[in-house]
Amino acid sequence: MLLAIVVATAVILLVLGFEMLLVLGVPALMVKEFFYGTLPDPVAVQKIVGGINHSTLLAIPFFILAAELMGGGQISARLTGMASAFLGHFRGGPGYTTIGGSLAFGSVSGSAPATVAAMGRMVYPDLRAKGFSDKFSLGLIASAAETSLLLPPSITLIIYGWMTGTSVAKLFIAGIVPGLVLALSFAILVAIEARRNGIEGGERTSWRERLRAVSRATWALGMPLIILGGIYTGYFTPTEAAAVSVVYAIFVETVIFRSLNLRKLIDITERAALSTAIIFILLALGGLLSYFVTLAQVPSHILTFIETVNAGPIVFLIIINVVFLVVGMFVDPNSALLILVPPLYPVAMALGIDPVHFGVIVTLNITIGMITPPFGLDLFVAASTLSKPVMVIISGIGPFIAANLATLLVITYVPPVSTFLPNLLVG
Amino acid sequence: MKALSILRAAERIAIVAIFLIMVALYFLNVVGRQFGGSMASNLAWIEEAVRLMSLFLVFLAIGLALEKGRHVGVHTWRDRIAAKTRLPVRRIIDAVGVIFSLYLAWLGYQMTIFVHSMGQISPTLNMPIFWMYLAPTAGFILLALRYGLSFFGLIDRYSAQDKE
Repeated sequence: MLLAIVVATAVILLVLGFEMLLVLGVPALMVKEFFYGTLPDPVAVQKIVGGINHSTLLAIPFFILAAELMGGGQISARLTGMASAFLGHFRGGPGYTTIGGSLAFGSVSGSAPATVAAMGRMVYPDLRAKGFSDKFSLGLIASAAETSLLLPPSITLIIYGWMTGTSVAKLFIAGIVPGLVLALSFAILVAIEARRNGIEGGERTSWRERLRAVSRATWALGMPLIILGGIYTGYFTPTEAAAVSVVYAIFVETVIFRSLNLRKLIDITERAALSTAIIFILLALGGLLSYFVTLAQVPSHILTFIETVNAGPIVFLIIINVVFLVVGMFVDPNSALLILVPPLYPVAMALGIDPVHFGVIVTLNITIGMITPPFGLDLFVAASTLSKPVMVIISGIGPFIAANLATLLVITYVPPVSTFLPNLLVG
Repeated sequence: MKALSILRAAERIAIVAIFLIMVALYFLNVVGRQFGGSMASNLAWIEEAVRLMSLFLVFLAIGLALEKGRHVGVHTWRDRIAAKTRLPVRRIIDAVGVIFSLYLAWLGYQMTIFVHSMGQISPTLNMPIFWMYLAPTAGFILLALRYGLSFFGLIDRYSAQDKE
């Protein structure tokens, strides 16, 4: 009965539009009062601080700052320019450029909203000029950015790694192929749309110009090199790579591209600090919530249930996908992770599912949540970046959600797509 | 409202300075390891210092983030429900926010006092541990202040969300 009250409170707070920090925090405190009244009160604060006081998590503010620096400066524009030089001449070229640019920017940023904001203004005019419809262009921009959550340095993968003790380096590399598969599914949609609307290709860029585009992007390409090269040669931890990438971004944007001054640096840093605070306060309160989930032995209850209905890993994964999709429709990605991973991860492990594979499935589910109405974060970011009504974006998002679900099926039931590379490279 | 703009400026300066120093220190740590030896071991405190700074970064920014309407939440139905039920939903949220934040600030304060009285010192930084709990105490007070100001209509934290 008391538990029902707690759950009902959480749902009511959510629906009424309370901040997620209250949606997570108030029920957690209720659980403490109702069920663990004998615990000393300050334990709550200890769990809140413990929820974010961790080196692995430091990678998040650093990667957010690096992404803001690159998005506000020249690095993202030059990466997109390079993608355009190679992909622009195909039928529906700007569509492929959007995907390629998002992959390139995603491989240095790790945040889907940052990718939407950085790519949106750059590619939208070109998409429209070449004849893509408004709703398809907007849907593509919002969806293509999702790949950044699968490619390193994905913030979602960092959080999952920290929550479950899975190696972040391994998760990073595991996300690459699924990220490319997702990009491919969007490319197929672009091809179909281009053919249907008779969208012509552009002029083929000469190799000379392509080389110029690559050389213009050389400094920008240093970024993934630092992040991936540094981590996989074992030279940097993910957090160190993140800090180095900030210094590199500041250096390149101020000294080489001269697009950053002190005023801008301060504004960007403040924005990144607020973005960090928004995520971390959820992680902190999530720390409190997951403490109670563990105390109440929720995972073992779920496992008992799964065993009584005689469901194996395959059925369990279907349930996982449905639960994450539904929760992801209403809740932001980080809260979804914080609410669902603590009770479900131990069950997945008991059923013999690979932790890296499970992480990729969870992450892909979360990325789908970012483009599904009513609360897909990317939809709102795309709307505000391009000053478009959210409804226009939602009206064009359907095919992309379908492509996502198809990818999700492949990733869920063909584990090697996620596990082959990390097993090969990291062991 | 002059006091509020001073507070806002102080928060901004603090979070930007903390953030950039965190980056610089962590970078120095990597460079220091490059040289190895005593230089690297002399820098062992950085890891812990940056983690402590990150706590202050987060908690000093949560109030400002609320004022700017940046905290995430599902705002889709809020105003429609308010209109239908004639409930002052925004003010209810603010009131719950004040109580929640003040309660956590109170717990944080108790924890800070308790740890302070134990005199615990951190292993590499040699800093008293209570600093760790001072951050959430201060942060939740700043958050309570914003919820309170919004409750009394002195700041408009919702206008940024209305544009969504």
